Amino acid sequence: MSLYLRQVGVVVWKDLLLELRTRERIAAMAAFAVLSGVLFSFATDRSVVRAQDIAAGLIWMTIVFDGLLGIGRTFHIEAEDAAMQGVLMSPAPKDAIFLGKAISNFALLYAVALLVLGVFMLFFGLEIGSSPGAVLLALGLGSLGFVALGTLFAAVSSGTRMGETVLPILVFPLLVPMVIYGAGATGRLLAGRPVAEVAGNLKMLAAFALVALAAGAGLFRFVVED
Amino acid sequence: MSITGIRRAGTVLAALGLLGLGYVYWLSFFWVSTEASQGIVQRIFYVHPPAAWTSFLAFGIAALTSAMYLWLRDERLDWAAQSAAEGGMVFGTIMLTTGPLWGKIAWGTYWTWEPRLTLTLLLWFIFLGYFMVRRSTENPDQGKRFSAVVAIVGSLLIPFIHLSVVWFRSLHPEPVVITPEGPSLPGDMLTLLLTSVGVFTLLFAGFFMLRYALEGLRHELQQRARRAIA
Repeated sequence: MSLYLRQVGVVVWKDLLLELRTRERIAAMAAFAVLSGVLFSFATDRSVVRAQDIAAGLIWMTIVFDGLLGIGRTFHIEAEDAAMQGVLMSPAPKDAIFLGKAISNFALLYAVALLVLGVFMLFFGLEIGSSPGAVLLALGLGSLGFVALGTLFAAVSSGTRMGETVLPILVFPLLVPMVIYGAGATGRLLAGRPVAEVAGNLKMLAAFALVALAAGAGLFRFVVED
Repeated sequence: MSITGIRRAGTVLAALGLLGLGYVYWLSFFWVSTEASQGIVQRIFYVHPPAAWTSFLAFGIAALTSAMYLWLRDERLDWAAQSAAEGGMVFGTIMLTTGPLWGKIAWGTYWTWEPRLTLTLLLWFIFLGYFMVRRSTENPDQGKRFSAVVAIVGSLLIPFIHLSVVWFRSLHPEPVVITPEGPSLPGDMLTLLLTSVGVFTLLFAGFFMLRYALEGLRHELQQRARRAIA
C-alpha cells in the first residue's frame, strides 16, 4: 500500500514540479479566470439583475471553462518525444498514474477555483456569507469531480484526431450534477443561508466525485493501453 | 447463429415492426378514444413514451455490451454495442422531437426541464460523444475502447444526473404540469400504449440485428481482403 501511495506521489510530484517550473497552465488559467470575471462584469446589466442572483452560476461556469482549458492539456507534456510510453512502461499501475494525474490536476484547478471565487467577489462586490468553510468545501468537491472526469477524458481526447475539441462534448453532459448541486450550494451560501440547507448538495457533490474518481481509476488502463 | 441467420431474422423482425407501426398509427388515429382534456394532440402519447422506452433500452444494452467488450475483448460485443447505440440515437431523436411538439400544446412551451426529457437529451449527447471519439481515432481498436469507456462512465453517472435534474426541477416548479401517465389510464389507451411499446421494441430488435449483421459482414469482407493479399 505504501508503495502504491509513493507511486501516486511520484506522478503528482513530477507534474507539479513541471508546472512550477514552466508555470504554463497555471498562468493561462489564472489569466482566463480574471479576464472572464472582467467580461462577465460587462456582460451583465447590474441594474436589471442583482449580482448575487447570478454570481454562483457564473463562478461555476467559469471554473468549468477554465478547467477545460487547463485539464485538456494534461497529457500534452507527455505527448512530446513519446514520453507517455515511458510513463506507462514504469512499474506503477495504471490507476496509480491516473490518480497522480488527477491529484496534480486537482491542486491546479482548486487553486484556480479559489481565484475565480476571489475575482467574482471583488468584481461583483459579493459577501462570502456566514460559512466560508462550506463554500470552499463545495468548490473543492466540485473541482475533484471535475478533474476525475477531465483527466480521464483528456486521455481519451488526446488520443483522437479531434483533440481538445471533443472534450466539452464528452464532459459537459456528465457535469450536469456537479453544476446543479455546486451552483445551488454556492448560491445559497453566498446569500447567507445556513450550511444545514446545503448539506444534501455537499453530500451529492462528494458522492459524484468519488464515483467519478473510481470510474476514472478503473477505466484509465483501457484508454492508454496499446 | 450465423451472420446470415441474424440478417434474415433481423429482416423479418424489422418488417414485422414496420407493419406493426402502421397498425399502431391506424389504431391511434381511428380506434382509440380521444382523451378528454387534451384532445387529439394526446395521440402523440402512443409514439413518445414507446420511443423513450426503446432508447433507454438501447442505451442500456450499449453500456452493458461496452463493459463486456472491455472485459472479454470479443469483437462481436463491440458490434452489438455500436448497433444498440445507433438504435438509441434514432429512438432518442424521435423522443426528443415528439416531446417538444406535444409539450407546446399540453404545457404551453416547447421545452421544459422535465426530468425524463432532460435525461434523454443528455444521454443523446453522451452517445454523440460516443460516436465522435469512435470515428476520430487512427486505430479502430482504440476507437472501440474509447467509446466503450464513454458509454460506461455515462451509465455510471446517469443516476446522479437524474437525481440532480429532479432536484433542480423541485426548485423551479412549472406552472402547469400534466402528467400523462396516470394509474387511471382508460383500458383502450393502455392497450394501445402497450401494443406500441411492443412494436417499438420489435422494430428496435430488427434494426439492431440488421445493423449487427452489417458489422459482421464488414468484418468478413476485411478478413477475405486480407487473405487475398496474403
